[in-house]
Amino acid sequence: MFEIMEFFSIAWTDPWLIFLTGAGTFAGIYVGAIPGLSVTMATSILISFTFKWDVNEALALISGVFFGGVYGGSRTAILLNIPGAPSAIATAIEGYPLAKRGEAGEAIGLTTVMSVLGGFVGIIALALFAPIISKFALMFQSRDYLLLGIIGIFLVGTLSGESFAKGVFAGALGVLIGMVGLDPMTAEGRFTFGSIHLLGGIPYVAAMIGFFGVAEALVQLHTLNMPAIKQKIDRIIPKVSDIKKYFWLAMRASGIGTIIGALPGTGGDIAALLAYDDAKRSTKNPERPFGTGNREGLVAPEAANNAAVGGAHIPMLTLGIPGDAVTAVIIGALFIHGLKPGPLLLVETPHLFWFIVGSLTLANVFLLVFGLTGIRMFTKIVECPKAVLIPLIIVLSAVGTYAIQNNPVDVYWMLLFGVVGYFMKTYGFQVGPVILGVILGPMMDSNYRRTMLRARQDVGDFLWGFFSNPVSLILTTGLVIMLLSQTPLWQLLLRKLRVNKYS
Amino acid sequence: MMSEPAISRRPGELLFALLLVVFSVSAFWQAYLISGFSGKATPGVFPMLAAGIMVVSGLMTLLSAARMPKKPDDESCFFVEVLSFNHFVLIVLVFGYVILMPVLGFVISSGLFLFCSFQFLWRKNPLVILALTAVTLAVIYIIFREVFQIFLPQGHF
Repeated sequence: MFEIMEFFSIAWTDPWLIFLTGAGTFAGIYVGAIPGLSVTMATSILISFTFKWDVNEALALISGVFFGGVYGGSRTAILLNIPGAPSAIATAIEGYPLAKRGEAGEAIGLTTVMSVLGGFVGIIALALFAPIISKFALMFQSRDYLLLGIIGIFLVGTLSGESFAKGVFAGALGVLIGMVGLDPMTAEGRFTFGSIHLLGGIPYVAAMIGFFGVAEALVQLHTLNMPAIKQKIDRIIPKVSDIKKYFWLAMRASGIGTIIGALPGTGGDIAALLAYDDAKRSTKNPERPFGTGNREGLVAPEAANNAAVGGAHIPMLTLGIPGDAVTAVIIGALFIHGLKPGPLLLVETPHLFWFIVGSLTLANVFLLVFGLTGIRMFTKIVECPKAVLIPLIIVLSAVGTYAIQNNPVDVYWMLLFGVVGYFMKTYGFQVGPVILGVILGPMMDSNYRRTMLRARQDVGDFLWGFFSNPVSLILTTGLVIMLLSQTPLWQLLLRKLRVNKYS
Repeated sequence: MMSEPAISRRPGELLFALLLVVFSVSAFWQAYLISGFSGKATPGVFPMLAAGIMVVSGLMTLLSAARMPKKPDDESCFFVEVLSFNHFVLIVLVFGYVILMPVLGFVISSGLFLFCSFQFLWRKNPLVILALTAVTLAVIYIIFREVFQIFLPQGHF
């Protein structure tokens, strides 16, 4: 216990780490708020800049950016009706009407406090459940990791983007990109075309920066001349009576957020929408109808998406499975620092786990401070014209990619992925599943082969394993249900059930 | 959660879907060449699975794109909706930037790129743009060279 406290407090006692966490949170709020910049973009670029740093310093900064960014999206959602991040879509539905009534300041204050509350719930869940899950995960076999990887990619692929086929395509493309280079088990070259440049594989940070930096910058070019809308902001500290009134709703939303965040493949955006939906159903006599500035509908998604941050760390740190694009990028950062997220992380490097919990908590405190101050400067910065922002993103992406290995070839890769990513986004493909595939692909490959070898290359034995072990059975069932729900068969089944119920 | 599927086909969508299928099939062929069907745990199995899934889902995408009604030609144009003049110029600028960076070094190439793209996208007084470029460049240089201590490309000059 004493040891845990010691590890936890590292981030709280070193002034430099406190500064980095604070700076990260501050930057994250702006990055999340400025439409066109995203947390994923910022984290992927930051990784390349911080990889030479001490791991604690890099993690402190990234924790801050993650927390700040998830929250920051709500500000532009309220002020401009543009969700700065996908997790703030529900916030815009209720927040913008509030701003139009001149209650923007109050709405921002309330979302800040509720986000911080949600953040704490997520962190507590992380601290309580990660050690348990990690012990449990020691029982997982390679087959189960293969299943978790597939479920993660499928979930991200199906819940985002236009269609199931596009999501699956994006995930498989990511896996394929991850396969390029020397096969780690036999040292045979895969997709190398005899080039030594390809033997080391395609640098995944270049892919991340290309997909989330340059591609996004090109998408933003469509809205180059959108005029900024100005809002009047006055009172920002929320009333205590309001906090009391929405406290339990925020707690429930945080619970939803933590659980959804902890499921592999689902992150803050889905958590926020589900919590919004839950608030809509559970609020009996709303002050104002939903969609016209209802506060319950504002509080729930904001508490949920910040709770999902802690939740998302659970599978990431205990299983090595990222919950969404941001955590996929953060796993990439952990790899670069030579860490192996997975069940052994807590056993071999407990200090690191508790350090992350500590710096997340610190970031959440900073969130409260920065969230309730500096609003005037904020409105100035957010009005930064896109004509300035877009070239800036590109320069940062190029420098960031170059910094990883001081190799110009990486920058060419980044540009290629940027342009391909732009076309993919334009035609309704999501790039999140691609990155998840790149990160999870090699892990899934080696686990598939290990499972196959253990089954002595007998397909029957291999398949039987998915049903004979309780853990695998649960995961297999989950995967099958998920796949079925995407087929017309599922609709048919639902209709039949409904008919039976009525007859 | 799922964004609304497009009602009508976007310009160039069919061609893009077709390119994806061609890419997937060639990827499958390359994956097959790794170790063929010689075993079930060989290095080529997983790449083949991934590429196979890409072929199938790519075909599904192609089919659904083909089924969608096309927008009337006067309403949609590939060079307006997808690759507009702005996009084209910016991509060319980025291309030049990336190629020149190892030759000219970070400061000169980034300066040129920022100046040209600010000027092109913002269209303000060149002096204002020059000042903006100088300030931006200085901030980036100080933050990344001094705070993050990363190597910036030096160039041959």
